[in-house]
Amino acid sequence: MVRTEMRNPSTLCQFRILLTKDLRIEFRTKEMVTSMGLYALLVLTVYGASLAQTAWGFNILQMSGGLLWVVIIFTSLLGLNRSFSQEKEFAALDGILLVPMDRSVIFLAKMTANLIFLLVIQIITVPLFIFFFLATTTPAETALLIVIPLLVGSIGIAGIGTLLSTITMHTRGKDVLLAVLFIPLIFPLLYACVSATSMMLVGTDDLGAIWRSLALAGGYDVIMILLGWVLYDFLLSA
Amino acid sequence: MRSSSLSDRIVPLALVVGALLTTAAFLLAFLVAPLVAGASVGSTEIIGGIAVSNKLLLSQKIFFFHVPVAIVSFAALAFTAFYSIRYLMTKESRFDTRSRTATEIALVFIIATMASGDLWTRFDWGVWWVWEPRLTTYFILMLLVIAYFILRTAIDAPERKATFAAVFGIITFVDAPICFMITRLVPSSIHPVVFSTESSMSPLVLVPFLLALFGMLLVGFSLYRLRLRQVTLTNRIEFLKLQLEEKRQAESRKKRMMEETKAITVE
Amino acid sequence: MGTAINISDVTRSFGLRKALDRLSFSLPQGAFLSVFGHNGAGKSTLLRILTTLDHPSSGAVEILGLNARKDADKIRERIGYISHNPMLYGDMTAEENLLFFARLYGVNNPQLRVRDLLDDVELAHRRLDTVRTFSRGMTQRLAIARALLHDPELVFLDEPYAGLDPHAVEILDGLLASIRSRRTFVMVSHNLSSGYAHASHVLLLSHGRAVCFESTQDLALESLTDLYRRDVSEGVF
Repeated sequence: MVRTEMRNPSTLCQFRILLTKDLRIEFRTKEMVTSMGLYALLVLTVYGASLAQTAWGFNILQMSGGLLWVVIIFTSLLGLNRSFSQEKEFAALDGILLVPMDRSVIFLAKMTANLIFLLVIQIITVPLFIFFFLATTTPAETALLIVIPLLVGSIGIAGIGTLLSTITMHTRGKDVLLAVLFIPLIFPLLYACVSATSMMLVGTDDLGAIWRSLALAGGYDVIMILLGWVLYDFLLSA
Repeated sequence: MRSSSLSDRIVPLALVVGALLTTAAFLLAFLVAPLVAGASVGSTEIIGGIAVSNKLLLSQKIFFFHVPVAIVSFAALAFTAFYSIRYLMTKESRFDTRSRTATEIALVFIIATMASGDLWTRFDWGVWWVWEPRLTTYFILMLLVIAYFILRTAIDAPERKATFAAVFGIITFVDAPICFMITRLVPSSIHPVVFSTESSMSPLVLVPFLLALFGMLLVGFSLYRLRLRQVTLTNRIEFLKLQLEEKRQAESRKKRMMEETKAITVE
Repeated sequence: MGTAINISDVTRSFGLRKALDRLSFSLPQGAFLSVFGHNGAGKSTLLRILTTLDHPSSGAVEILGLNARKDADKIRERIGYISHNPMLYGDMTAEENLLFFARLYGVNNPQLRVRDLLDDVELAHRRLDTVRTFSRGMTQRLAIARALLHDPELVFLDEPYAGLDPHAVEILDGLLASIRSRRTFVMVSHNLSSGYAHASHVLLLSHGRAVCFESTQDLALESLTDLYRRDVSEGVF
């Protein structure tokens, strides 16, 4: 037998291979996107029921930022819970750990995959939300800008969520535990994103406040992703 | 492992000194420190024979308890993060025990802060709870600390438990400075900023406050040491029990083997 | 020939329980080591440590002359591990699974390598089916192909025969024989006679300690069986 030649692939290359793998599995099973999409739709339905009684008695626009983020948070929680199910089912993660590579790449690839799923869901959910609840209102001109907090928030959710779902993957009652760890930990991010989104939808003269919120959210993203990058090897080796 | 080191003997003393200091601080706070002007009353009123346009708040005395306790809770969380990092670097279980103990102390002091803060809110702002940035972030900090313990109970393998808890302890600590800084970052916050260059505490306020702070730090630290000693001793007992059990098993095995050999020689 | 594995005083404790207790041995390159022991004797823990998936609480581990903690990546390049978990993705096809791992390892011309290996494990006709649809034996064969992708010189097998039908056992035997040359093997096994038949060295573990580590030339199957029986009966008490 001829000795098999090997050349260590670059980190970027390994990142691409790992990400493609996640996307390919998702494209085949459509597990995450269907369950998350359906769940988001159901939450919107519940909103419909709970808001129906208020008729037009209050300004939905003021609340819409918060409501939108509630859908996103709970939907992402559902997806994150499943993000390692494929890796765990036949212990494929051990197979990856046997490959000589920087383990932080696994974190970044998983995070990117989760981010992509989240964004796909939002592309469906956000217009639907606007169609259902904001059709009779007149959002401010800045309304289109909400893509910025949505993106910044999703990056943070994917980063923190990937880190935490790696932790909860091995625990008893992982679904509840992920929520218990995840929601307090993303709170600062959520707070900043909700305030930025609301200000953009309602309109504000204080543009500085919007940027401050976005800067807080972005800063939190950076810190958390850096920590994830540094600490991920410890999580996987445990 | 030496169970009675010098520091262990000092700890009870530190606890007593801490308690005395905080007590002294509270006495000073009530007897010496002047009342602080609080919310305005609306119109000039006569209180205690003096015409004032705003109410002097006795509830402000909670300040001398509330703030030191909150600072100790932050300090304890810093210890958690520090020992978590040490644990990840060395994988020695004693650092895990330390960070867990520090988090326990943090939880105790966080609850004390929440309780005292709640009373203060009630009397100063007129409500039990308000979703105000400082209160919210501190509440979140409490949830994170509780989540830390829930995480610990959810994992069986001791090493994995320690590692995951350490990672969570480190990322939790990110929220501590956010909570500390939030009253400066969000101008709408109605929670007062205590430490800034502009605030000028009069010596009559500053002295009891510093006494209370120092006393509370001593109390927190000695509670930590006492609890740590207790946990360490418990672990040691468990370890000895296990060794005893192993020894017993090995002896019974040896005895059985000897009996077998005897039986063979008899044959 | 150098030493493939050299461990000294390796202890691995989970809390107060010691899965491995001051274990030391040294295995020359090209050897075939069979590891025996009752359930919970520390066999799987040993394999996870030797494959760098786990690290000892104390003691030194050297694989192919490299320190397992410092040079883990260099070791990983040169070892393959067939555990009782297949380490595959259920929703990818056999070919996709192998290609994924081959690319991750950086194998040159992955397509060709994967095709060769699929032929070797007689799965070429099922290469476009997802692993989820595979039987236990087929999954096991694919797991073996996965472990051999990067042509490792040191191969670890954790109970590879467990749950296999006779035909799969035959294929596995043939496969092991064909890759036997130049390589070092460590196999955990429950079956004394088949494990002994392959082996050049045997290691019997009990409560994380080595009952014996011998070359098969110095230890007959009968004596191994005796030792094993006595150990198992003690394990019961």
